[in-house]
Amino acid sequence: MSSTPETPDRPTNLVNPDGGTPDSGLARLNLTGISKSFGAVRAIRNADMLVKAGTVHALVGENGAGKSTLIKIVSGAESSDTGTIEFEGAPVDISTTVEAMGLGIATVYQEPQLFAELSVSENIFTGREIVKGGRIDWAEQNRQVVELLELLGLPAKYATVPVGSLSIAEQQQVSIAKALAGKAKILILDEPSAILTDVEIEVLFSVVRRLTSSGVAVIYISHRLDELFRIAQEVTVMRDGNTIGTYPIEDLTVRQIAELMVGGILNDERGERIIPDGPAKLELNALSRRGKFEDVNVSVRAGEIVGLYGLVGSGVSEIAATIYGMDYATSGEIKLDGRSIAPKSPRAAQKLGIALLPANRKVEGMFSFQSIAFNISAGHLRLLSYFGTWMNRRKETEVAKSMISRLAVKTPSEKQFIGAMSGGNAQKVVLARQLVERPEVLVLAEPTQGVDVGAKEEIHRLITELAENGTAVLVVTSDLPEALRISDRLLVVRGGTTTVEFGPEATQVDVLAAAAGAVDEAGQAL
Amino acid sequence: MSAPTVDKPAGLPTPPPKPKGRILAPAISGQEYVLVGVIAALWVILGFATPRFLSSGSIQPLLANVAPIALIGVGMTLIIITAGIDVSVGAMVMVCSVITAKMMVAYNIPLVLSIVIAMVTGGVLGLINGLLIAYGRVQAIIITFGTANLFQFLGLQIFGSETVNNLPDSRAFFGAGPAGRTFGLPHAFFLTLIIAAVAWYYLRHTAGGRHFYAIGGDPQAARLAGVRVQRRTLIAYVVTGLLVGLGACFTIALGTATVQANIGDGKELAVIAAVVIGGTSIMGGRGSVLGTVLGALLVQTVTSGVTQLGWPTQLSDLFVGIAIVIAVGVDLVRERARRKK
Repeated sequence: MSSTPETPDRPTNLVNPDGGTPDSGLARLNLTGISKSFGAVRAIRNADMLVKAGTVHALVGENGAGKSTLIKIVSGAESSDTGTIEFEGAPVDISTTVEAMGLGIATVYQEPQLFAELSVSENIFTGREIVKGGRIDWAEQNRQVVELLELLGLPAKYATVPVGSLSIAEQQQVSIAKALAGKAKILILDEPSAILTDVEIEVLFSVVRRLTSSGVAVIYISHRLDELFRIAQEVTVMRDGNTIGTYPIEDLTVRQIAELMVGGILNDERGERIIPDGPAKLELNALSRRGKFEDVNVSVRAGEIVGLYGLVGSGVSEIAATIYGMDYATSGEIKLDGRSIAPKSPRAAQKLGIALLPANRKVEGMFSFQSIAFNISAGHLRLLSYFGTWMNRRKETEVAKSMISRLAVKTPSEKQFIGAMSGGNAQKVVLARQLVERPEVLVLAEPTQGVDVGAKEEIHRLITELAENGTAVLVVTSDLPEALRISDRLLVVRGGTTTVEFGPEATQVDVLAAAAGAVDEAGQAL
Repeated sequence: MSAPTVDKPAGLPTPPPKPKGRILAPAISGQEYVLVGVIAALWVILGFATPRFLSSGSIQPLLANVAPIALIGVGMTLIIITAGIDVSVGAMVMVCSVITAKMMVAYNIPLVLSIVIAMVTGGVLGLINGLLIAYGRVQAIIITFGTANLFQFLGLQIFGSETVNNLPDSRAFFGAGPAGRTFGLPHAFFLTLIIAAVAWYYLRHTAGGRHFYAIGGDPQAARLAGVRVQRRTLIAYVVTGLLVGLGACFTIALGTATVQANIGDGKELAVIAAVVIGGTSIMGGRGSVLGTVLGALLVQTVTSGVTQLGWPTQLSDLFVGIAIVIAVGVDLVRERARRKK
């Protein structure tokens, strides 16, 4: 059932064939020995990177490898604990974003940093307004904005439109325009393509090429390794807060980059699992939601754990929301026990026996100011009350206590506020709520996000235990080692659609390469 | 990623540049036109219902009474644009009034000096709020709720369980009588218009002014863009404090010769009502001073109208309440319509 994605042919028409600009190849930015800790977490241990003028320098690594933190240090949003930054050969101290902008370091963050109520033009110039006689020179700003918009292939009339009325992709392009408005010498693009369509990516690339040919250095972060070969000349790989090395891109393949990112670590050990035969419990047939995902096909049997793995922006999280009735599908169907269902609300989904562990537990999963007992019993009030009216406190406490011991939640009492607990413990409590009544189908979205290693193990054990008791489990995750460790079958979601299926013997490198696009769409290796 | 393409003409040849075009929202927004229309309609209706309403003897006090609400509203607009709020302005009016009134009575100080005293007092109170909110990073509504009680206590202590009587006549300058008018307009209203115009220009056409909108839109993005978020936030509260001081002078001047401890009661609600009815989003990031002045005018028109019709006064609360609900509803519908896109 596993697949071995083939290494793609590298495009022969490498970008920037001549690189014939005056200062091309000179060191524009040189980072040495950078480290940064947040409390006890060492986000960056030791990072070195040399970025040359007139080139596109890719920066890759798994989630949490330290890319974003490194970028924040360069752009002045964070300051490093140790290490030196040299800009055009001279050491510099970048402690604020204003200083970075002053040097000509412009950043496009992953999340568009924009003001919905202000016009595109105002957004682009906030913080560096063109002022004449104490008054903003609207005409001049407008003129420059129109130029930038044209460069990006956006209509000139957008200059005066409020940013909030544009699509997310257009907002992303406005962020890029914003970065370009200052005379950038270094342009940092943090996952710029995650939310862009192919056409928009082409526009982005042509802009990037134009910039590099005029000597700008571009630092390009992307999870989509295949596209790096079309735009970058060099690549720096990060893993666990360290820079592993910098390589000319033509010396590597997608597969080799993926290996460098995961460090060649093989599968984590997982116990033998016997997956029962039987008809599908939950089926998604050609499920689509316009603009989010399309033609998603998944089937989960009772007692089976199926993983759905995709990178940020691939549409995985929206699939989970649709199954749980928070979103609706525009076509295709969801089948439960062979019957077609269309839950209109989380309540309806729950009644059908579908439980969800939401991805963002702080917002969607927990009542921060309430006790553990409250958090566990919420959603089971009928079960834990007299005639569905008065709470049965004794029973509530009993259930909470048994859950605390079963899940090994570290807490002095079930009366503890959940808001004061660590991420891992809080997640266990949220999970406990789903376990009070064993669900027929459990959908887990990012079950161990922000959870420490020990708690992660226990949560994985619990999920396995549930499956052994006959629950059909669908785990939606962007954490690759987790996806591999926990799933009996793993489906890769790319570009909003399920592409390749892997069995338990798949390797990280295979899956990552597939998710990043090293498999041609037709090659549905099953 | 082969997600369905957005309906956007990317890659198509763009039409020649159009350097012309409005960058800002139009000077007068839809909501403000509606307000002007509603106010005009009310004036006409009230004019028919009680012919006395449109006489100068009725309009002049109305405008004079609009002044303190609109003036403090200018400051509140700044605050609400940054996604903050200040519910302590009523208590601040009380503190400023009692200090100023006591000084006026005790030392018979000139009017200019009493204005300075009132504004300095208000500025200090605003500074306390601003420092706590901008640098202490506490929720504006909670902290100003707290300081409102503190200021209330402070003011009552200064009152010493008495009223301040026999205010000097110099206060007439602000427009309680004919001496305090120019071109028929009470000076308090006149001053308010001038200050509102300055604030309007500042918010609209200077970099510093636009930064308030940026902060309300997304403080993190504003910080990354190089906006001095904390300093701007502080300024909003201090400016409000200064305007509360001047507004307190108006309030003293327009009342009787006696200042009572209830002088600031309900002012914060009237001011916030004016700002919200004027179209400033309570979520921050959008709003205008012009709307606030119109909002104050509407609130005062309703209050005066109800009084002059001889209706029970609680009806004016009802009407103002309805206006607030409509204004907030319009804001929500707008936001939803935008999300859908």
